[in-house]
Amino acid sequence: MKSAKKFKLSNMSDTNLLLTITIVVFFLMYIGAMLFQGKGFLKAQTFFNILNANAALIITACGMSLVMITGGIDISVGGVAALVSMCCAVYLDYHGGNVFGAVLIALGIGLAFGIVQGLLVAYLDIQPFIVSLAGMFFARGMTTIVNTAPFNVANEAFIAVKETRVTVPGFGSYNKLGKYVPAYVEIGVIVALLVVILLFCMLRYMKVGRNFYAVGGNSQSALMLGINVRRTRFLSHLICSLLAGVGGFVYFMHVGSGSASHAMGMEMNAIASSIIGGTMLTGGVGNIIGTFFGVLSLSTIQNIVSSAGLDQAWWTGITIAAMLCIFLVVQSVVMARKKKALG
Amino acid sequence: MNGLKSIVKHLEKGVMVIAAAAVSMFILTACSASGQSPVKDSSPEAETEGEKEADADKSADQLVVVGFSQLGAESDWRSAHSQSIRSELTPENGFQLLFEDGQQKQTNQIMAIRTFIQREVDAIALAPVTESGWDSVLSEAKEAGIPVILVDRRVDVSDENLFECWIGSDFELEGKKATQWLHQYTESIDYPQDQLHVVNIQGTIGSSAQIGRSKGLRQACDRYGWDLMQEVSGEFTQTKGREVMASLLRLYPDLNVVYCENDNEALGAIEAIETAGREPGLDLLGGQILILSFDGMNPEALQYAREGKIACIAECNPQHGKRLADVIRRIREGKQPEKYSYVEEEIFSGCDAIKTLTVDGKEYPVTLLQ
Amino acid sequence: MSSETKIQTRKVKGGSIFRNQIFIPVAALLLLALFNLIADPSFYKITLGYNSTGDPVLSGYLMTILDYGSELAILAIGMTLVTAASGGQDISVGAAIAIAGSVILRVLCGHDSRPETLQAPIIVAFLVACVVAMLFGAFNGALVAYFKIQPMVATLILFTAGRSIAAWINNNELPIISDPSFAIYGGFIPGIPIPTPFFIAMICVVITMLALKFTNLGLYTQAVGINESSSKLNGLNPAFIKFLSFVLLGLCVAVAGLIKVSRLSSINYSVIAKDIEMDAILAVALGGNSLGGGKFNMLASILGAYVIQFLTTTLYKFNVQSDALPAYKAVVVIALVVMSTPKAREFMSKIGKKLKPAERSVA
Repeated sequence: MKSAKKFKLSNMSDTNLLLTITIVVFFLMYIGAMLFQGKGFLKAQTFFNILNANAALIITACGMSLVMITGGIDISVGGVAALVSMCCAVYLDYHGGNVFGAVLIALGIGLAFGIVQGLLVAYLDIQPFIVSLAGMFFARGMTTIVNTAPFNVANEAFIAVKETRVTVPGFGSYNKLGKYVPAYVEIGVIVALLVVILLFCMLRYMKVGRNFYAVGGNSQSALMLGINVRRTRFLSHLICSLLAGVGGFVYFMHVGSGSASHAMGMEMNAIASSIIGGTMLTGGVGNIIGTFFGVLSLSTIQNIVSSAGLDQAWWTGITIAAMLCIFLVVQSVVMARKKKALG
Repeated sequence: MNGLKSIVKHLEKGVMVIAAAAVSMFILTACSASGQSPVKDSSPEAETEGEKEADADKSADQLVVVGFSQLGAESDWRSAHSQSIRSELTPENGFQLLFEDGQQKQTNQIMAIRTFIQREVDAIALAPVTESGWDSVLSEAKEAGIPVILVDRRVDVSDENLFECWIGSDFELEGKKATQWLHQYTESIDYPQDQLHVVNIQGTIGSSAQIGRSKGLRQACDRYGWDLMQEVSGEFTQTKGREVMASLLRLYPDLNVVYCENDNEALGAIEAIETAGREPGLDLLGGQILILSFDGMNPEALQYAREGKIACIAECNPQHGKRLADVIRRIREGKQPEKYSYVEEEIFSGCDAIKTLTVDGKEYPVTLLQ
Repeated sequence: MSSETKIQTRKVKGGSIFRNQIFIPVAALLLLALFNLIADPSFYKITLGYNSTGDPVLSGYLMTILDYGSELAILAIGMTLVTAASGGQDISVGAAIAIAGSVILRVLCGHDSRPETLQAPIIVAFLVACVVAMLFGAFNGALVAYFKIQPMVATLILFTAGRSIAAWINNNELPIISDPSFAIYGGFIPGIPIPTPFFIAMICVVITMLALKFTNLGLYTQAVGINESSSKLNGLNPAFIKFLSFVLLGLCVAVAGLIKVSRLSSINYSVIAKDIEMDAILAVALGGNSLGGGKFNMLASILGAYVIQFLTTTLYKFNVQSDALPAYKAVVVIALVVMSTPKAREFMSKIGKKLKPAERSVA
């Protein structure tokens, strides 16, 4: 796949150029970490741990990219994820529900937020930022109204699902005691990979997927081409919130507890990953695979910072910000090139 | 114009080179990942030898690597706690400390512990943000043969063997001490017990300190017939403490005792009380509001205690560093440390009316602040 | 499509009070005031008390609103300019306040984190904070104006790094100022019973109003916001105007930061001014200003800031938990924003027209 891309590099599209940069940066970073930090990074499980910890973020970031491709934004995803985890926790623990019901609750909450926000954005022409800001406030507030205190879920069926580990053959390692520990991923990672593949296929091979790009690139000409702009926008917000619901459940599976402070700042991480992954907030440009690598890059930085023994937490913030800055400047150079090509 | 174009062109060329490099690197990565097992295959036999080697290394001044996952930096107490551990686990003392700030998020802490496990540290110290949800990650550490030492807060796990031991404060005892002080003090000034209208500004809900201290208060209220009007969380912060206190004052004009579960909350509460035109102090009969507090780390709070604005402070000793270093050394020597060890804690007051407290049949002296 | 709606809005404007921009915050304020009057008139009670140093102090819910609404009002000034010029919002103001506050404390404390006396005059600390905050504003502004990055994304950088930088400025220590003269800015001036932040906010408002009246700042900002390329053709420098608006926001941030740290005489990097960016943006939206840039009404924004504080205080009074506050705020915000959409306004003015003949017949 890579070599095929290389041949066309000179007339590569914006999306592909940004995507390539992202992937390359991720690999350079990871290899750098392997060379200079050694130990932990040489084990495959470190990589899988990154996936395990960020499965929820991958899912929500994919939804975020979709909305960003249509030129919108959704900052309610973190709130929705927190609300989902709290509702599921209450349902499973206090009401003795089953896991299937909890999944339905998660999807229901996501759908409800998607419909309301989508309607307000697409059919009442309110700025997506304000709508989803209110959505975030509402979700965060509701989470504390549902239950103030954070608590652990003791439901056995749920714990069984939570603890299920999918082993990845061939990547295990021996620990200090000489025991072979197989490499594993959590179920959430499988869900996340499925979401990535589904969305990627939708954006690339389906008509509705190409509509997203058209609407985000230039909504006026999309309208002239006979694309239902309002419906496309609505759909993007619907999918994003639905994925936030799914992401919330995956997050819930990872931590196994409900708390109002869960998924705090997830929306910003999702936006940052999308940007690093080459999605532009102006709309029309973006790629799901890029977002996937964006999330990986983000968490690799965090991992490097912590393994390097840089003890202050602020290092993470500063390195991520620096990286965002670089990517944004690269994007703006690309945009300048695009404008020049047009004019 | 041209300059930009050439930059972009350069960029493209660079990308091409980098892409090629990445492909080859990726192949390399795959190789090293799969090539890892043969290298490590020999390790089971070398196991016992390796351990001996490790011992030899230690005498050869090899540093003990300790990963510490701190929950955050929300209060003065927490800063002092981090500082204590940082200043004790130094290379001079034979340790290499990996310090991780969890920023109040459990996911960050779980991630940090997993990172420590992958780095194969010699011991993990954990100050958990909540009590629940640690089973799986702690069992991973156990599988990897890394001892986990809990500091400050406890965890709620199915199997107590998942962690090696726990170092911290007896929060319930702190609560008992503070309430006992109030009881003895009000007796000494002949203030009727049923006229004590208490509000509790709680800590972060679900933290060990909050649970223990709230429990201490509730027991005392039951025993002495105090009127516990409301319990609200001030999240251990000054801002929240002030906010909460301001609304409590409006709701309950007759409240006369405030039980703050840390000093920062007490500082906030005092601000709110003074802004509302009331006075904090020891003179309950004169309409002052009596404040009980915990920690005893903040100099401002200690000053207030001297002035009587805070009636008494039950100390919560953050100096866990030394005890932690001792425990790790013991474990390295193969000895079993005590499962639960409490640090020594005092009780401070600026009022000399009460000299000693009797809690559960044991006497505790009150340290008079001068 | 967007031009279509713009024309519609313009057609609707003029005449009826429903169409006036300041209608939204005023209506919201009246609604809240009425609600409180009916629910519990004691909301309006103001008592004169004395604080610990024996100075007269007014207290009551209205004073709380004036007090805590002030830093929001100051931020709303800058945010309105940024919104109007760039058509986007700065989400880094909370983090920037942490930086400004940290700088102030750093200058005041010198090397010791718990000094007995101030190591520098407060005015010097404030000026240094102004410069630093304006530099960070300039950083945001440069990204937006010269690199053409969307404001929200550009400010995301500082949003991520800001609190870390703030912690770094003070070596992650928590400095505490014990000098009482520092507490004046977030508390009370001895002898004057009205909270100082309100005066600071009023000074800022007056300066802003004068600047808008006697300079072309307002006109140019709106011109750039409405149509960047046509303003360029008219000889303006849109990039510079955008850049300037971010620098001015930086100045507002420094003032708000001074009030914030003075309130506590200390700082908590991860909590200080948390979510204030959201409230500041809401204030602009509540003021009926388009978040897409262009025309703005400064007074409406400032009023919007106080309305938000009014709402917050009201909710507190009814014992709503502070964590649950956002849910109620969200409902109010959505109701207001939906009300202000062209479609809803058209609908309302239709009802208004229907009502008028009815009134006449009654008369």
